[in-house]
This record gives sequence, C-alpha cells and structure tokens, in this order.
Amino acid sequence: MAHARYAYAFKNDSSHTIGVEFGSKIINVAGKSVKLQIWDTAGQERFKSVTRSYYRGAAGALLVFDITNRESFNALSNWLSDARALASPNIVILLIGNKKDLDADREVTFLEASQFAQENELMFLETSAKSGENVEESFLKCSKTILAKIQAGELDPERIGSGIQYGDSSTRRLLQEKNRRQQADCICRM
Amino acid sequence: MEDLKFKFFELINKQGHGAKIPLVGTVNDFETGTEDSCQDDIKIEDTKTEQTLADQEVLDSVLPEYFQCDGFDSALFELKKLPPVLNKQCIEEVCSQLERQHRVVSKQVLKLILDKTVVCEEEFARVLETKKLVGETVDAVKRARTDLSLAHQHFTTASLGILANYRKRTLVLDLLRSLNTIKTLERTEARLQELLSNGDFPGAISLLLECQGVAATYRHFACVAALSGKLQDTLDMAEEQLDVALSKMCYKFEADIYNKLQAAYSLLGKTRTAMDQLLMHFTSAIHNSAFSVVHSYVEQNNSTKKQYNELCKCVQETDFIPCLVSLCQALWKIVSSYHEVACWHQNHFSNSTATDDNFESNLNEQYVRQKLKNGLDRLWHDVQTRVSSLVLAVNLIHYKVDEFLQVLAILHRLEQIGKEFSQSESEELQNSIRKQSILYFRRYHAGRLDELRIFLENEVWTPCPVRPDFSLVHLQEFKGLRCSVQQCSGVGSSSSHGSQDGSVVGSGDGYFSRFTCSTSNTPFDTILDPNPLADSSFPDSINEPSGYFSEESDEEGPELHGEIAHNDRSSHNRYNKKNTLGGETCPLLTNTTLTVLRHCGKYLQMSRLLRFIAADVFVCLIQLFEYYLYSVHYFFASDLPKYQIEIPSSLKLQSVLKRIGDSLIQNPSEPHDESGQTVPAANISPDVDLTNSEQLFGLQERVVAVESLVFLAEQFKYLRPYLEQLLSASKHILTTFYSETVEVAPEVRHPVYSCVSYRSVDTQQALALMARVNWEVSDVMSQHSPYVDTLFRELQIFSMRLNEIEEHVHLNQEVLDTLWENVVRLLSFILVEGFSISNKCSNGGRALMQLDFTQLFSQVEKLCTLRPLPHRDFVDIYVKAYYLTDPVLEEFIKKHKEYSVKQLQALISCVCQGNKKSKQRLKTLLDEWDKLGMR
Repeated sequence: MAHARYAYAFKNDSSHTIGVEFGSKIINVAGKSVKLQIWDTAGQERFKSVTRSYYRGAAGALLVFDITNRESFNALSNWLSDARALASPNIVILLIGNKKDLDADREVTFLEASQFAQENELMFLETSAKSGENVEESFLKCSKTILAKIQAGELDPERIGSGIQYGDSSTRRLLQEKNRRQQADCICRM
Repeated sequence: MEDLKFKFFELINKQGHGAKIPLVGTVNDFETGTEDSCQDDIKIEDTKTEQTLADQEVLDSVLPEYFQCDGFDSALFELKKLPPVLNKQCIEEVCSQLERQHRVVSKQVLKLILDKTVVCEEEFARVLETKKLVGETVDAVKRARTDLSLAHQHFTTASLGILANYRKRTLVLDLLRSLNTIKTLERTEARLQELLSNGDFPGAISLLLECQGVAATYRHFACVAALSGKLQDTLDMAEEQLDVALSKMCYKFEADIYNKLQAAYSLLGKTRTAMDQLLMHFTSAIHNSAFSVVHSYVEQNNSTKKQYNELCKCVQETDFIPCLVSLCQALWKIVSSYHEVACWHQNHFSNSTATDDNFESNLNEQYVRQKLKNGLDRLWHDVQTRVSSLVLAVNLIHYKVDEFLQVLAILHRLEQIGKEFSQSESEELQNSIRKQSILYFRRYHAGRLDELRIFLENEVWTPCPVRPDFSLVHLQEFKGLRCSVQQCSGVGSSSSHGSQDGSVVGSGDGYFSRFTCSTSNTPFDTILDPNPLADSSFPDSINEPSGYFSEESDEEGPELHGEIAHNDRSSHNRYNKKNTLGGETCPLLTNTTLTVLRHCGKYLQMSRLLRFIAADVFVCLIQLFEYYLYSVHYFFASDLPKYQIEIPSSLKLQSVLKRIGDSLIQNPSEPHDESGQTVPAANISPDVDLTNSEQLFGLQERVVAVESLVFLAEQFKYLRPYLEQLLSASKHILTTFYSETVEVAPEVRHPVYSCVSYRSVDTQQALALMARVNWEVSDVMSQHSPYVDTLFRELQIFSMRLNEIEEHVHLNQEVLDTLWENVVRLLSFILVEGFSISNKCSNGGRALMQLDFTQLFSQVEKLCTLRPLPHRDFVDIYVKAYYLTDPVLEEFIKKHKEYSVKQLQALISCVCQGNKKSKQRLKTLLDEWDKLGMR
C-alpha cells in the first residue's frame, strides 16, 4: 500500500515485503506542508520482531486488509490489538479495505468492514492500489486527523515518541507516520 | 594520171571559173568518176587515132606552158617567145600554128565535153533524185519531231500532275499523322496525371520523355511550341510529384514505390540529384518529425514559432517519457527507412554490376554509395542532436528511479541502434546521458544516503529472518543481475570475455531486421514496460544470452517467494528464537542491511546501464557501505569504559573510520550541506537500550549490528568479481575499497564487543578487592584469594547471559571468541593492575599471584572455547619479572612497553625492596624513558 502510495503507480510484480520498506512524501494538509515518513512493514508473522519497533513512535497507522480475502479480514483484530499494545495511545488508525477494483471477488462487504471500524473506533476507507483510487485520500485523511488532534491538544508533538516533529519553519511540520501493512499478500497477487 | 587530172582542172578553169561540179559524194567518188571518164577518153582516142593523129601532133605541140593553171598570160608568153628581130613570116607561122593548135584543142575539148554530157546528165538526174529523197527525209524527220514533241509534251505534263498529286497526298497524310500525334500528345496530359496518381512514376516519366521527343520532332508546328511548353510544365510537375513521393520514403519505406522512383529518376538521368534530394528529405524529415512530436507534447498556447531547443524546454516533466518514446519511435521510422534505402541500393548494386558495366551507371553507383555512406553518419548525428536536446532540456532529478532507468533504457537502446546503424558510438547521446545521469545520480544518491540515515535511526537491530542461504541475489532488485552476478562469482575468470562480445546486440539479429518498416512496431514500444530491466530483449552487456536469463528469472522469482511464504508458518519459530535451521546458520542481518543491499542492487542496475559513470556509481555504493560501517561503530563502540587499557580496535580500522568521518559525515557545526556529498551522522534509535546489564548491555543488538555489517561485507566480496568486470577501467578504486574498507569490517567486532566484555566485569570492585590482599605472605599459599571467586562469579553470570542471548540470536564462534578474548584481556589487565597496587611483595606473595592467575584462567577456560587463552603472558611475564636481577630488569623495563609506568614502578618497588639505590636509579631511568618516549 505504501508502495503504491509512494510510486504513484501500481506495480504488478510487487512482492512480499521483506522486513520494512520505506517511502517519504510531502503532502499538503490545510495549507501546511507535511512530510510523511511511511514505513511499509511486512505482514508475515516471522517479521514481527523486526516490525514491532516501528509501531513505537508512529503517529498514525493504516491497517490494510484485502476485501477479496476473508482471512485477512478475520486477522484484523489481532493486528489491531498489537497496534494498540505497542503504539502510543493516541495513534490514529485507519482501516483500509484494499482491492476495491476486484468487486466481483469481494468476500468482505463494505457494511461488515465499516461495522468493524465503528466498533473499534477506526476510520474506514476502501481503496484500490491498482487504480490508485482513494490511496492519496487515505494518507490525507490520516494526516488531517493527526493535525486535528494536535490542534485540539489531544496530542503533544513535543512528547518523545509522538512520531511528530516540527519542521524548520513554523509552517512546516515534519510528521513521522508509521504505517502498518497488515496483509503482505494484498498487493502482490493482483 | 596526175598530169591528166591537172589538165582537166586546167581545162575546167579555163572554160570559166564558175562552172564547178557540185560536191556531192566523197572525193573518192569524184576521183573514180574522173578516172572512168579519163579511161573513156583514152578509148575514144585509140579508135580515132589515125584521124586525130594530126590533131594529136598539134596537141602535143602545144607548149606545156599553156597547161599552166593560173597566172599564165598567153599573149605575154607568145610575145616573149618572139625573136628579137621580127619576121613576118615567122610571126605568121606562129600565128597559124597557134590557130591550129587552138582549133585542135577546142575540138578536143568539145569532143571531150560531148563524151561526158550523158554521164553528166545521168549523174544530175541521180543528184536530183537524191536531193528529192533528202527533202522527203527532212520532212519526215520534221514531222516526227513535231509528233514526238507533242507526244512528249502530253506525256510529261500528265505524269507530273500525278506525281505532284501523289506527293501532295503523301504530305497531307504526314500532316494528318502529325496532327494525330499532336492530338495524342495533347491527350497524354490526362494519362500522365493518371499514371502519376497511380504511382507509376517510371511509366509517367518515360511517357513524358517520349512525348518530349515527339514534340521536338514536330517543332516546326506552331501549336507544338505551346504544347512542348506544357509538356515541360508537366515534366516539372511530375518531378515535383516524384520528389514528394521520395520524401514520403523517409517516413515509410516501400520497396515497390522506391523501385519505381529510382527507375523514374534514372530515366530522367537524375539518379544523383535524386540521392541528394533524398538525403535532404531525410534531414528535413528528422527535423520535422522531432519538431512535431515535441510540439504535440507542449502546451499549445505558448509553443508557436519556437526553436526546437526552446520547445524541448517547454516539455513538462510528466510528459517527458512519453515524449521521448514518441520521439524515438518517430526517429526510428526515419532511420529504419534510411536503412532500407541503403539495403535497397546494396541489393540493386549487386544486381546491376553483374549485368552491365556501363561507365555512367558505375559512376552513379559510386556516387550513390558514397552519398549513402556519408548520409548515414549525418543522419545519425541529426537523430542524436534531436534526442540529446530533449534529454538535456528536461530536469530529471525528481524522477523515480524506475522512471529514470526507463529513460536510460530508451537511450541505451537508441545508442545500440546507432551502433548497428552507423557503427557510431553516439558520443553526443552518451554525453547527454552522462550529464543527466550524473546529475540524477548525485541527487538520487543523496536521497538514498538520507534514507539510509532514517533507516539507521529507526533501526532496532533485530535480526530480519531470511533463508539460511540468503544472499543479495535473492532480492527483487537483483532480479536482472542475478545471473551475471552468480556467473561472475562462480566461474570468475572464464566469464570475462562476455563484456566484449555481449556489448553489440543481445540477440543475434539486429533491430533493423526485427523491426522492419512494414510493421508498425518499433524497438521503443516494449520499453514502456514498467520494469525495464525485466525486459528480456534489453541486452545486458555482462549477461549471458538474454533469453536464458529472462526465462530463469520468471521461474525463480515466484519460487523464491513461494519458499519464503511456505516456510513462514513452519519455521518462523526457529527463525525467531534461534537463527539456526537444521544446523545451518541464518545470516544475521537487519532491515537496514537489506535496504543497503537493495540500494546496491539498484545502483548496480544503474551502473550497468551507465557504464561510463559506473565508477561514480561505485563510489556512491562504497559510501552506502561506509555509512553503515561508520554508524555501526558510532552506535555501538562509543561507550567503551575509560580505562587505561589498550584500545582494541586496530589502527587500520581507526584510519578507515577517520577517513569516513572526514569525507562522508557532515560536521554538525557546519551549515547543512545540500549538495548531498555528506550526510549527518545518524543517531541510534532511542528504543535501543545499551545500558541494561541484564541484557549484557545490548549485546544482542550489537551482535546483530556487527554481524550484519560483516554479512554486508561478505556480500560485497561476493560481488567483487562482478564489480571487477563492471569497473575494468577503474580497478584501483575497487582494490582500495576491498583491501581497506571491506576487509576492516570484521574488525569492528573488537571495539563493539569489548564494550560488552569490559562492562560485564566490575573492574573497580575487583581492584578494590585486590588492594586488600596481602602480598607479603611468608608462606606459599595453597588457597587462591577471594577476589578470584568474585571475578569468576561475574564471568559465570556473563556466560549465563550469553547463553540466554544465544536463545534469541545465534552467536557464532567469532563473536564468542571476540567476547571472551576481550574478557580475558580485561582480566589480565585487572590482574596486573591489581598486582601493581601494592609496592610490597614477598616471594610468597608472588607465588600467590601466580596461583590466583592460574586459578582464574583455568576457570575461564572452562567457560569459553578459546584455546589457548590469550593475554596469559601479559600477566605471567609481569609476575615473573619479580625474579629478575637488576640489569635484566633494566632491560625489561625498556622492552616491555605494554605495562604502564605505574605498574612498572610497583614492580621496581617490589624487586628492589631492600635496595633503595637501585630502586631510585631504575625509577629515574623509567621516568626519563617515559618522558623521552623511548618506551
């Protein structure tokens, strides 16, 4: 997912993430330039030890599942509890249902997923990494929510491990956002 | 007879001069006639002889003078004959004689006349008759002539009339024919148009030429003059059409049309002109195509009337790749057409030389050949210029690496086409590639270094589980390089030939045979593939035949990932808890190591495409490694306890670290360097705890970090043969890098692990315990001192914790050995330091020292596998120096620089316990030497 975000183009041969991959992007949120550091972590169990450190100090997370794969949806609660346990309590989590383009093979309905999101106080979006639909929006939404939390005083950027750094000038914020990719398979087999 | 004849003449003359006999007939006739008459006279005379005898006598008496013909005056003659005395008688006598003679002669003459009268009359009658006949003849002739002339007149006039008419008819027919021809000529116009529009150029031209010939024949007709003018116009127009058709050949070569065109031009005798024209068309075709392609990618409003170069600058960054591809495609069509033209001529030459040896055509052929050859270079130069302008005009530094590689792949392909096309090295193109590449790569590398810093700062030094046989070739980024890297590493020397012959064109046949004009495909269609390096047709100069490699990578790719996926559940416990799998050891590496390797793959891909900046790329590659090395050392070796103990890192390592620090690491006091040449030093992630003694001061992280560095170094070593091939030109950088930087990587173990080792033993406590030991015992002790047990307990805890850590991370022999070596080093330091606390010592005390030392080391030997234990001598020699005599001790002090001044002073104090003088002397010596730096 981060890859799609990063490269702006769908890669057919995108493979499993080994360990953690990284991308960065500057986006504009409410007139402010925000630099995102995006960590694309492997979904495979054996990489858990490698990836857990990236939960720490993340300001936001995208929890991605594959709408054409029931199992990936079922595993969400595990990933969510991991994220809640390891990350800072103020982390903004976005639930992403990927492969929107393969509506015919859908195994998880929009309603189900949004219900899950509601129960767990997550935001929910369906995206297509292949077509790029909603990919940009998901990052934007995440960033906006984090900024709103800062402005509301819920989140203190000065606190160590907030995952947020102010940029050089007052208008520029450096936001470190660490993203969780839940299903390694979700892109490569498209 | 003559006389007779004479006489007759005389006679005739005498009788009157006028009586002439008409001269009819010939002289002969006359002679014979007279002869006859003479003969007749004689006969008459014979018969009458007697009667006339007298006459005869008279006749004879006639004086001969009288028979003279002219001028004879008879009277004068007779008078002269008279005697001087005139005598009458005599005169009378003469008179009578003369009278007689006269009579006789007259008679004779008369007689003769009578004799001849009948004959004369007869003769006259005949003459008259003859005259009459002659007159008749004349009449007949006259009549005949008249008739004849009439007949002649009649006959000639008629014939001439006929002839004249006939002639006229012929003329009229001729005229009619001419007029018909002219009429046809007039009509040819339409036919010509038809031929031209059908593309039958030679037909049209030959027809035109024929017409012109005919027109020249009928030049005398007034109407033809206008017609031939018109024909000339048509010819001009036809040539124009030929020219247009010729210019179309530049975009899409068609052999049929070109055949016709060439035939037409050779009919016109303009083969050379046609060639010049064609080359001009090619030039303008390139110009126009390039312009229109670029123009189509530039926003419409501001692009009018701009120079090509200016236009190139207006191309948006996002439009650049499609624009470049379109440009290449358009130019390819032209180049390919040119190639086909050249081929056509080549074939044509070989055909024509066999058949005719015409001088003129040979000359033309030579000319065309030369022109084509020259045109080749010029055309390619034009192509290069257009593409280079576009490439240089665009700012590529914000491009993603894949996109940039795509650009490179396109240009690389173009370069190869150039090589195939005109054996050109495409310098201009290469220069622009180089320029853009260096710009791009600098920027790219700066980005990567910065990214690497972020990785390092976020790295928690947890091992990243991989296959036991993992190597960099398994990474996605090495997909395209896998084969060649393995090949290079496997067979090494034998594969070096590949770089030469492989560089031509990947597969056997060239681009021109694979992509002909007739197909609409171009070599630039396939590059649009998002991963240019997976494209099998992309020739890899170091690679084996590319077909093989593409197949393999397709198969191996999924298999590789499949295996990872398959192993996922079953082996992840083993992966995680202990990085061993069936006795095999998994390489220890981190996420950041993987990142470096991935970058390495990308860099190598770039250097493969950009062999001329391969050295630059390699220098950057080195920097990645150096930054990793520097950071690992900086993170994990900077917390060495500050004891008076030998720094365990080698001079070589220190110099390497210093060099990296100077060249690569940004000085924090200096303003931020935007050039990307240096990078700020990374800070270790706050999540890494290096102070917890329970965790052996972050030993696990340290091991992962250092071993991942060693793994990285090994991977670089694995790459060495490949790199050697890649960088055959600048081997010294490579050699330096390997002999200095890579070789030094395992040496980082010492400073890093010694941090753990040194902290695991509480030196202060041990020294304090040792200070309390009494070395002035008189007896030789059988029991070692208690501090040995304290130290040993600490070591046992250390060993136990090591085992605990080994549950999580595999500690290889080198790690363990380094750890223990440093522990032993510390122990020996503690012992010597502790022994030197006291200035007093007895023999018994010395023996106790040896006992403690042996006890401690033998116990340590049980804990570790290091054999023999190092640093034994350090303690042993120090303890035994107690037994040395004065002069030997002096030598000892001078020689053993590994001991501190304090330790040696204590030794001197102990040795010279009873000898203050030598004690003082030795101490002074020691001080001097120390100051002079002699020890």
